[in-house]
Amino acid sequence: MTRDLLIDAYRRMKTIREFEERLHQEIATGEIAGFTHLYAGQEAVAVGVCSHLGPQDYIVSTHRGHGHCIAKGCDVKAMMREIFGRRNGLCKGKGGSMHIADVSVGMLGANGIVGAGAPLALGAAVAAQMDGAGKVAVAFSGDGAANQGTTFEAMNMAVVLKAPVIFAFENNHYSEHTGVSYSVGAKDMATRAAGFGMAAHKVDGCDFFASYRVMAEVVGYCRAGKGPVAVEFDTERFYGHFEGDPQRYRGPGEVDRLRTTRDCIKAFRTKAIHEELLDAHTLDAIDKEVLALIEAAVTEARTAPVPTAADVLEDVYVSY
Amino acid sequence: MALMTIREALAQTIRTEMDRDPNLLILGEDIVGGNGTAGGPEAIGGIWGLTGGLYERFGPKRVIDTPISESCIVGAAAGAALTGKRVIAELMFADFVGVCLDQIYNQIAEFRYMFGGRATCPVTVRIAYGAGLNCAAQHSQAVYSMLTSIPGLKVVMPTTPADAKGLLTSAIRGDDPVMFFEHKMLYGEKGEVPDGEYLVPFGHARMVREGSDATIVACGALVGSAAAAADRLAKEGIACDVLDLRTTSPLDEEAILDSVELTGRLIVVDESPPRCSLATDIAALVANKAFAALKAPIELVTAPHSPVPFARELERAYLPSPATIEAAARKALAYR
Amino acid sequence: MSTLRAFTMPKWGIEMTEGTVSEWSIREGEQVTQGQIIALIESDKIVNEVQAEFETRFVRLIAQAGESYPVGALLAVMATGDVDQSEVDRFIAAFRPAGAAAESAPESASESAPEITQPAASAEAARSRSTPAIAAAPVRAAPSHARTLEIPEGLAISPQARRRAGELSVDARSISGSGRGGRITLQDVEQASRPSRAIGGGAPVAIEPRTTALDAFYASPGAKRLALAHSVGLTAIRATGPRGRISRADVARDAGIPLQTDAAPRVVRMSATRKAIARALSQSKATIPHYYLRREVQLDALQGLRGDLKRQTGAAPGLNEYFLRATALALIEVPDVNIQVHGEEIYYYTDANVAVAVATDRGLVTPVLRAAQRKPVQVLADELKPLIERARSGRLRAEDVEGGTFTVSNLGMFGVDQFDAIINPPQGAILAIGAARRRPIEGGDGIAFASMAWLSLSCDHRAIDGALGGRFLAALAGFIESPQRL
Repeated sequence: MTRDLLIDAYRRMKTIREFEERLHQEIATGEIAGFTHLYAGQEAVAVGVCSHLGPQDYIVSTHRGHGHCIAKGCDVKAMMREIFGRRNGLCKGKGGSMHIADVSVGMLGANGIVGAGAPLALGAAVAAQMDGAGKVAVAFSGDGAANQGTTFEAMNMAVVLKAPVIFAFENNHYSEHTGVSYSVGAKDMATRAAGFGMAAHKVDGCDFFASYRVMAEVVGYCRAGKGPVAVEFDTERFYGHFEGDPQRYRGPGEVDRLRTTRDCIKAFRTKAIHEELLDAHTLDAIDKEVLALIEAAVTEARTAPVPTAADVLEDVYVSY
Repeated sequence: MALMTIREALAQTIRTEMDRDPNLLILGEDIVGGNGTAGGPEAIGGIWGLTGGLYERFGPKRVIDTPISESCIVGAAAGAALTGKRVIAELMFADFVGVCLDQIYNQIAEFRYMFGGRATCPVTVRIAYGAGLNCAAQHSQAVYSMLTSIPGLKVVMPTTPADAKGLLTSAIRGDDPVMFFEHKMLYGEKGEVPDGEYLVPFGHARMVREGSDATIVACGALVGSAAAAADRLAKEGIACDVLDLRTTSPLDEEAILDSVELTGRLIVVDESPPRCSLATDIAALVANKAFAALKAPIELVTAPHSPVPFARELERAYLPSPATIEAAARKALAYR
Repeated sequence: MSTLRAFTMPKWGIEMTEGTVSEWSIREGEQVTQGQIIALIESDKIVNEVQAEFETRFVRLIAQAGESYPVGALLAVMATGDVDQSEVDRFIAAFRPAGAAAESAPESASESAPEITQPAASAEAARSRSTPAIAAAPVRAAPSHARTLEIPEGLAISPQARRRAGELSVDARSISGSGRGGRITLQDVEQASRPSRAIGGGAPVAIEPRTTALDAFYASPGAKRLALAHSVGLTAIRATGPRGRISRADVARDAGIPLQTDAAPRVVRMSATRKAIARALSQSKATIPHYYLRREVQLDALQGLRGDLKRQTGAAPGLNEYFLRATALALIEVPDVNIQVHGEEIYYYTDANVAVAVATDRGLVTPVLRAAQRKPVQVLADELKPLIERARSGRLRAEDVEGGTFTVSNLGMFGVDQFDAIINPPQGAILAIGAARRRPIEGGDGIAFASMAWLSLSCDHRAIDGALGGRFLAALAGFIESPQRL
């Protein structure tokens, strides 16, 4: 892992974290409409996966999509404008947090329907197969989406077609307000995926380095046309299912404990400094830049123009 | 010009378009057929016989047999379309729309809009629909009324081989998602088809009969029944306009309103059951925009509010027929 | 703090309920001085120049020229000093016309009457206008058991259908209802009451589509039909239909074919003036017991006198002005006709305020010649001229039309021989004068020709009995036929 790669990874993870933390505050003021689902805590997964992808590869996300979006290279300020519902947002204010997308960089959208991503990613992989250029598609799913019929169908079809799709299961242990130990009947998602006939891995999603290493192998396998792969990431979300979730399903002091012992960014920093890969000074400088970027994004979003009634009918069709 | 069936016209169009555009792919159940069997691929070219020979010509990367997973047929079509491909997805029976409705109405219909116009999803979902073959409740439904109501989709149903070719070409080459409804009873319908490539535009109804006493509007297999009813009435000096809508979304409002302004009497024929259907949609349109022209209440000839029954006599009673359409026209004409 | 004030639709006279902003005389943002004209506001037939009572700036104009607004409606926002647009927006949003339910008042008080020059109060007496209080419907507790509504005949039939069946004497029992469960609808009853319509039984007719001949053109079926019917080629037609298709309207337009819809009438809403005329005269006809007295008058003497004056001085007042003078004098001679009727009271006036019916583009108006009995014919003519000008340009003032006791209407210039006019409330009578014509009369031992005109006097029988009306008409004829008395 080169120094540049590590700096880039840290920057992206930190950007995701600060983006989500700041949103948490902004949402509390009531200025942001609708549902928002924050990704804070899961950064190492998004960045660990996307570090191996280029703009020509595809990802499909879940309702908790800001992290994937940032990791894949979407414009942070445009994302913030979109979440604020502005006319010059990433989706012109038409999609909002749950449908945030940028097809031009291979981010085929966050999706409000649990499990909708897997067939879409499969489709992107089928398209990649047609092109024969070694492109891959990643379907991000939570432990909840892992149980949806569409996910199973996609996994099966991916094996049948030997499609270059990676099923990345982010097990943050909660599917809405229900624990994974209740809702997943099999031993774990990786084992279940293997039962479909594909290669499967399990990795600590709070360890960037481990995630990165596993994904290197997985993406290489896929690009070589060897078929689909499932990866189960053990990770944590620091916030509720949605902003406003009272989180009564958490144990006492659970989130504090997670933020101490299972914070992937803290762990990265510790390891990087300890193993003399990066120094604190460099990391601090990145922290500052990221905060400035987020601050600027929010300021811009707040004053950006809002859409008008005339915009409602735009873009329903290409032509009608 | 060549005489051929709708089935042949569709098959020819798919092949022509796949030749023309290397980015076009087609997927569905048994469109190749025979994969994983002793008979090998192409043991059957699609259960409706439209996709034979494609596999041989274009290969497994562009002609894809899927397991029985409608949500993945349509979902994968959507994903591939988002990346820049053009996709034809085949649903063996319209009733199976239930299994992949999320992909149709939450995903395909909404991508362009949700993503602020910065994405297109050029998917044509070919759907075999309709009653008349005694396939009973779960293999005979019309379904097009529901999909017509969804913003973001276009809904098309050809009734002649010439229209089948022109409309399918428009659907494939257009950048918007299209639900392409093929009536089971019409696959064998014969007609003259012009040579060469041409597009039939959407929202452009076809006049099947012309007269100024009443307007009969229909689509799909019922266009023939409407024409038959009009012919019976013509023998008694009653002349009706018969409109083949060709597409229900977009709808040729102008053609309907112009005709009603002329005749003042409207009969809408619809294979859907009567609640929240194409028939009620058109009736509301006309009642609102041509109220002053109406000389009689609008007559709707529809399937009843029931699932499609199995027995021959029951299915016959279920479907609108030339006799029931004629009776409705007489009723409209008798109003004073 | 806030220095915003509301400029609202003023109330002139008790009966005014709405006014029209004819035009703004200032622009948005303009600073105005005291006395500067802000706007022209029209109510009924009067157009008033509204002046600024104090110096201020009109920071927002809300009312549109030509539009009507109820009394008290916010027409503009005034401010002294600088104010930003969001403050104005808030003021507008919080504004409530006086009489609306009192909410917590914002700091910038919304006043119902602006402080601007008010025109002279209307001389019309108040008429009681009470809005009937809407009695609150008594709330009934729902019965504990749902009782099915029993229809005596045992028929399922809608209330309106039942009533209609009774009106049309249709036996509802013989009707097969088209409603749910065979319920009889109003439509069913009406259909049953009408004679059957025979359908069919005619000779066979051809219905093969002819428009397929034009299928090569991207045109709607209606467009093709029209083209075929009028032998119009579609090549040169400019398409404006949806998706770039040639529509029926396109063919009609480019080929100059009138569409069926051109036969529809042009619908225009009544102007404020016309509405006022409609209101007043409808009410007059409905409540005043009109009766009509008619006689001819001989005009030779009058015409002779007028002719002499013309020869002597080169000009003379119009014939009608002499009629006005004669009317005024007759009103003084028979003062019981010089009245206004208000409910159960009769107002007797000492001056003959003769109103003249003037036709204008906006409708009929009746400016008044005040104390006409004191003015010679020439003076009446001189006064009448500017009045008619103002009437025709829509600039009559309140004082121009108030206080009339009698109206004279002359349609002689159109060749109308005789007509009966409708009384202009609250006046007691109106005179209608016809064209002067040479007619044979008894003269000497035989027939002579004389210049005659018909007069028709409409009287309000509540205040003017026949004999009184007759006396007035006689007096009037006397003045007309002895013009030296004018």
